[in-house]
Amino acid sequence: MFSKNPLEQRLQLSGILLTLGLLVETLCLLWKGPLAFLVFAGLGCLLLFAGILVYLFSLVSIRHQQE
Amino acid sequence: MISMPVALLLLLIFSSMISIGAVSWRPAITVTRGGKILAFFILFCLPTLCATMGFSSEMERSKSTEFCLSCHIMEPYGKSLHVDDPSYLAAAHFQNHRVPAGEACYTCHTNYTMFGTFKAKLRGLRHVYVYYLTTPPPPEKIQLYEPYDNRECLHCHGGARSFEQGAVHNADPDLLPAVKSNKKSCVSIGCHEVVHNVGTLGNVKFWNRGQ
Repeated sequence: MFSKNPLEQRLQLSGILLTLGLLVETLCLLWKGPLAFLVFAGLGCLLLFAGILVYLFSLVSIRHQQE
Repeated sequence: MISMPVALLLLLIFSSMISIGAVSWRPAITVTRGGKILAFFILFCLPTLCATMGFSSEMERSKSTEFCLSCHIMEPYGKSLHVDDPSYLAAAHFQNHRVPAGEACYTCHTNYTMFGTFKAKLRGLRHVYVYYLTTPPPPEKIQLYEPYDNRECLHCHGGARSFEQGAVHNADPDLLPAVKSNKKSCVSIGCHEVVHNVGTLGNVKFWNRGQ
C-alpha cells in the first residue's frame, strides 16, 4: 500500500495527517461539549496544518531533486 | 439536531476525505500536470477550506448561550436569566430580548473592541484551565476577572433615548459623563447592582416562558 518513492510517501503521509485532522473536525462538529472547541483548535487544526505542510514540503522537495 | 450549515460542512469534509484517500491510495496520479493540479486542490485547497469553515463554525457555536451554560458551574447563571424580577439586570435583558437570547452570555461578556472576540475566547481558555486544573470557586463566589466596563453597556445603550433622556440618568448632571467615561460603573451600588445574584436564587420567583 505504501509507495517506495519518497515523494509519494510524503503525499501519503500528508493524506493520512489530513484525514485524521478532518476526522477530528467531524467529531468536534458532532460533539456539543465545550471541550470540542479546544480539541478542534488544538488537535484538529494541528493535524490539518501538519498535513498541508508535509504536502507543501513534498512540492519543494521535487524541485530540489530536479535541480 | 444538526443545522444546515454544519450538515453542508460535514458533507464537504466527507467528500474531502474521500478525495484525499483516493490521492493517498494512488499517489502516482500526481505525475501528470492535471494530477498535480488536482492534488493541489485536494491536499491544499480543500483542507484549508474545511479548517477555515470548521473554525468559523466552532467560533459561532462558542458564542451560544447553550455552550456557556453547558458547564455545570454556570447552571445557576443560566437560571438567573429566568428570574421574574425586572431589577435582575441579566434576566431583564434576556427576557425582553434586549440581547439575542441565543447569545445572551456572549453579548454582555465580550469586549466591544477590535480583538474583543479573541479576548473573550482567551478568557474562555482561562475558564477551562480554572475548571479542570484548579479548584473552581462555588457559583456564588465567581467574580469577573476585571471590573465590568461600561463600554459593553454603551455599545447598545449609548445614544438610545431611554438612556440619554432617562429621568434618573439626568437627575445628577455629572452622572452621564461619569458613566460614559467609565468613572462610575453602571452596575455600581444604587444603580443596576442586581445582575445575576446567584446566591439569592432560592428566594425568588421564576418566569415561566409562555405560561
